[in-house]
Amino acid sequence: MRIALVGSIAAASALAPAAAFAVDYLSAEEAARLMFPDAERFELHEIVLDAAQLQALDARGVRGRSARWQSLAARRGDATLGHVIVDQVTGKFELIGYAVGIALDGTLKPVEILSYRESHGGEIRLPAWRRQFAGKSSTSTLRVGDDIANISGATLSCTHVTDGVRRIVAVFDLVKKSGGLR
Amino acid sequence: MVASVEPPARHVVRRARPALGTLLEIGAEPCDGCDAAFAVAAAFDRVRVVESLLSRFDAGSEIHRFNAAPAGAHIDLGADARAVLDASRALHDASGGLFDVSLGSGPEGWFVDEASVLHKRRAGVSLDLGGIGKGYAVDAAVQALRRHGVRTGWVNAGGDLRVFGTIDVPVDVRDETGGGVRRFGTLGEGAFATSRLGGRQVSVAAEFCLWADALTKIVAASGDASHPLLQRYGARAWLQ
Repeated sequence: MRIALVGSIAAASALAPAAAFAVDYLSAEEAARLMFPDAERFELHEIVLDAAQLQALDARGVRGRSARWQSLAARRGDATLGHVIVDQVTGKFELIGYAVGIALDGTLKPVEILSYRESHGGEIRLPAWRRQFAGKSSTSTLRVGDDIANISGATLSCTHVTDGVRRIVAVFDLVKKSGGLR
Repeated sequence: MVASVEPPARHVVRRARPALGTLLEIGAEPCDGCDAAFAVAAAFDRVRVVESLLSRFDAGSEIHRFNAAPAGAHIDLGADARAVLDASRALHDASGGLFDVSLGSGPEGWFVDEASVLHKRRAGVSLDLGGIGKGYAVDAAVQALRRHGVRTGWVNAGGDLRVFGTIDVPVDVRDETGGGVRRFGTLGEGAFATSRLGGRQVSVAAEFCLWADALTKIVAASGDASHPLLQRYGARAWLQ
């Protein structure tokens, strides 16, 4: 076991200023390719929920949140293999980007985390803080020493992501039933 | 002319998925004759298996079946549940009962015999491996990476972290009250876990993540950052 502390334990105490923490894992396209390796191409597909569909989501206990969703449709020839929907959720101090892949038969691919952002001082609720990450591209390969810090905490939960996945599955299910997916 | 020479890039595969009720991150350095991305995928698969085997919510798990069973029941255990329950019993006895996977429902109400059979001595006893299972799953993921040829990498389940090989990974501890992180130090060839119990935040470094995970509970419950058990497991603890 090799462990080296930064100065003293005080470095991890409330006296030291807290820093932001950020990791990018995959871009949306990279996640889509992992989920549907047989796809020849991915096309942007817009999903629009009407008022009745939003109500139906509410009735299922899943708050619709948004009427417009974008997916990457995985195509091979004329066939659609499935869809990948990218979303973000916020926790108390963290912003998590993730991708949900659903095959056309409804099978769920393992959820991939795209990015993790830990804020300090509660900027997480500020639109400006959140905007700085919008559309940020990332790569799955990075260099040791650049950005490999690991976070340790007692209460890091994935409840928000799990709720988000449930919402996306419900949206997908509804739209599929209405024939709105190609 | 002065040219700046970039050090050779060491490309790392680093991925994260929701698992074990938290975010599970797995990193692997490229290795000769192995596929780091494939190894990382195998490690995620291994965690999923361990999670379902140890979960008290998964209807097929040995733990769920034990909790639902009447007194006198006996359940054949697989290698994973056996390993975790054996470690739980050892930690329970060594900590004078502070570590208790029955959560007070009756630590003497269960035992595992030499043939890997879990016995339920009386009704109402239930098991919850939440205080140790995550650490075990992290160790299992590290084993899976190694089995696939990875020599250097790390696995982090929401703060239950293990690092192996030649790398020293910077560890940041999350500020649970105000957000953000503070640099704690670096960790190589070992494990680190953080838990919060009764308003106390405890971090423990140990050789294996199962030990680090379980020892945070013992330090938090005893309030003793130099609990004698730490020395026995070659561990160090920090109370905040």
